[in-house]
Amino acid sequence: MKVTVDAVEVEVEEGTTMLEAARAAGRYVPTLCFDERMAPFGACRVCMVGVEGNDAPLASCTTPCSDGQQIHTDDETARRIATATVELVLSELPAEPEEHTELAEVARALEVGEPRWQGVQHEPKHDARHPYLAFQHELCISCGRCVRACDEVQGAFALTATGRGFHSNVTAGLDSGFTDSTCVTCGACADTCPTDAITEHLLLDLVGDPAKDGGPQ
Amino acid sequence: MSTRFDQSTTTTCGYCGVGCRLEAHRVDGSVRSISPAMDGPANKGHTCVKGRFAHQFARSRDRLTAPLVRENDGFRLASWDEAIGRITEAFNKIKAEHGPDAIAGLASSRGTNEDCYAMQRLMRAAVGTHNIDNCSRVCHSPTSFAMRSSLGLSGATGSFDDFEAADVALLVGVNPTQGHPVVGARIKQAAINGLKLITADPRRIELSDYGELHLPMRPGTNAALLNGLAHVVIRDGMVDSAFVDARTEGFDATAELVEAYTPDAVEGITGIPAADIERAAHLYGEAENACISWGLGVTEHLYGSEVVQLICNLALMTGNIARPGAALLPLRGQNNVQGSSDHAALPDTWTDYRPVTDDAVTSSFEERWGVKLKRERGMTIPEMFDAAVEGSLKAMYIFGEDVAQTDPDTAHVEKALDSLDFLVCQDIFDTETSKHADVILPASSFLEKTGTFTNAERRLQMVTPAADPPGSAKTDLEIICMVSKALGHDMGYESSADVMDEVAEMTPRYAGISHDRIGRTGLQWPVAKDGTDTPILYTERFEREGGLARFAALPYKPPGDAADDEFPLILVTGRRLEHYNAGTMTRRTENLSLLPSDTLEVNPVDAERIGVKAGEEVTVRSRVGEIRLPADVTERIEPGHVFTAFHFPEVRTNLLVGQSADVNTSCPEYKVVAVSVESVRSPGERPQPAELVTA
Repeated sequence: MKVTVDAVEVEVEEGTTMLEAARAAGRYVPTLCFDERMAPFGACRVCMVGVEGNDAPLASCTTPCSDGQQIHTDDETARRIATATVELVLSELPAEPEEHTELAEVARALEVGEPRWQGVQHEPKHDARHPYLAFQHELCISCGRCVRACDEVQGAFALTATGRGFHSNVTAGLDSGFTDSTCVTCGACADTCPTDAITEHLLLDLVGDPAKDGGPQ
Repeated sequence: MSTRFDQSTTTTCGYCGVGCRLEAHRVDGSVRSISPAMDGPANKGHTCVKGRFAHQFARSRDRLTAPLVRENDGFRLASWDEAIGRITEAFNKIKAEHGPDAIAGLASSRGTNEDCYAMQRLMRAAVGTHNIDNCSRVCHSPTSFAMRSSLGLSGATGSFDDFEAADVALLVGVNPTQGHPVVGARIKQAAINGLKLITADPRRIELSDYGELHLPMRPGTNAALLNGLAHVVIRDGMVDSAFVDARTEGFDATAELVEAYTPDAVEGITGIPAADIERAAHLYGEAENACISWGLGVTEHLYGSEVVQLICNLALMTGNIARPGAALLPLRGQNNVQGSSDHAALPDTWTDYRPVTDDAVTSSFEERWGVKLKRERGMTIPEMFDAAVEGSLKAMYIFGEDVAQTDPDTAHVEKALDSLDFLVCQDIFDTETSKHADVILPASSFLEKTGTFTNAERRLQMVTPAADPPGSAKTDLEIICMVSKALGHDMGYESSADVMDEVAEMTPRYAGISHDRIGRTGLQWPVAKDGTDTPILYTERFEREGGLARFAALPYKPPGDAADDEFPLILVTGRRLEHYNAGTMTRRTENLSLLPSDTLEVNPVDAERIGVKAGEEVTVRSRVGEIRLPADVTERIEPGHVFTAFHFPEVRTNLLVGQSADVNTSCPEYKVVAVSVESVRSPGERPQPAELVTA
């Protein structure tokens, strides 16, 4: 079937998502919770697009295309929702995300400036018990990518989403750290994390390692 | 995209045979981080604890950075000229006095295809002997032998993608989540998504927990199990007669042979309940598309090469071959086990396994290199050690292999190394083997060289340097070319691409391979002159004379070692996730803090009988040696069996393994060693033969 993304017509297979169609058409759609290695999740609401005939924007990563659809990645409402979402996410972080992170990239692409809302920010909480993997819990935005990478790419089932609302975060095992969980140190969580909430000590060494200084022990 | 790195290079992992494509990130001249390449065909954006994290070894302070030559009882630093001068002097003297066959070389399954091809050319053209072998001798040589004999070619018939396309997969003697973690993860995901998995292994492996059925056979009884499965497939009418008639030969003899292998009879031999054998045969036989995968639990036996032929039988009689999802997928151990053998680092074959006894092929190499070559095969690794002890082999050039740790019967190997007049080791670290060397040449790791590895899918992939070799160390190819030139045979290669061009020119099945064409996503051989590669083998014909695959009617025969009153337990050895083979690399990384030492897995029933608790030290004694290590009491291992790995030099597991080896390929029988296990604290503690327990 055929769909049009920002006036670019693309031929797609049944079941193709709007995000896949947009990427096939060479159009940029910002995403935070999406990773092509895992099943679409639809949690972050950053990949919103406008669809002709639809009143409200749709999450492109979880919505399948139908024939003849006209999709707009630059839909004004969609962009406004995405930008505000990223702005809210940033407002909870104690510091700006590192430049190389996907979150920083998306914020740049959406031109999110200093957050307008000044609410509570996460307190730094680091875990440096594992020889390679480091937690910086205050950077967790609960996108669920690490948990899904652990389940759907590796199959170690070591990570779990914890807490509710502002206290949502991620933990290894029964809050026992990577080494005492079923973690097999494949690194898929660090690889997919869009904020460095899970990263490697070796990489933190390159920018100074806060996790090593402020571990819980 | 902004980055923290000075440079990122896409290359291919140098650990196991999966062939993950990696991005190696460089800061200040060294590799500081590795992440998965999203377009890697085998890893699809994933890595494991070895490929991703265990790269610190490359920056280790004890890397060899300059040549070393023996002086008195130790070594001293030397220039490249002096080191190579010593080699040429010794080799020329030995050649003059004893002939070229008094010298032997080992290429490395860790090296690139180009390194291995150059190494065999060095031995054949510069030294003048076919005494060249590589470490696939001690792991998958039985696979290579059997697949060539049954199907025609030495390689997997398909790709890892087949696990996702299959309905059923049978894993025999392989533990992918530990030994081949990225494929292990792919199989686990496939199982979660509906692939019906049958695991057959003396240990209950992690994937057994995700499978339909686990078949814990007694070590060394694989042949009985496979003939039993064939029996049920035939008895219950699951044979694909159209396929058998059109594309195979020898079915009737096999059918006749397996008649005796009733599930009850097989239960008697293997210990697997007859009902489970029936169920496994039906799962496999009734699948639309089924794969079989195996590892060293099949090959490292007295009849390993025969069991691989029995695996081929099962696939052939059900027509489960040559389609997506229907494949035979041996999981090759090292990064380049496939390629080192493909590229002629074997005593009996040229590239693409063409025999040295074939006059036309050998003539073509004589012509290409301007030398005279014999038509008789050279020595295999075990034959080399025997010849050294016996006195007819005088010198060895060992590149990238720690035979004194990894080969069986360590005491015999060390005696062989000590018997040599001259030993060259080319490696990145001092090893147990290099302690016996006369000259040690400092080489390069996979992060520092250019070339290709061939993974377990027959896929050649580019290795691209992300850092420079340390100090005055050189790439393996440079060193081999220098030594060859000093011996009077200038190979004339300017780059590793030149080596591959020569391979393509000399090898019809590899005719279209070049570094340019390999590109980012690789080529699966055979590769036609126009560059078309072959993801699935045998879609039209089998690569044997007449184009038919061959059934092999082979009975079960007992393994070379058996438990008795003195040695009542069977030791099985294998890999652990955190470490890699001799541990030369992984023990120099933080992986050591993830797994600092080895243990002996003992079933609770045996532990109680022996009187040992978890964590307590035990002595393990076999007919040839003795080691000590702590016990791990676990139900993963069946009663009557014990398990340990071979990653730690302080344990030296291979002191226990004897000389028993595969009947066709002399691959050692690492998987069946009768042992006795005693608590070191037990009252009847036996005095230790001290010379065998070297720390």
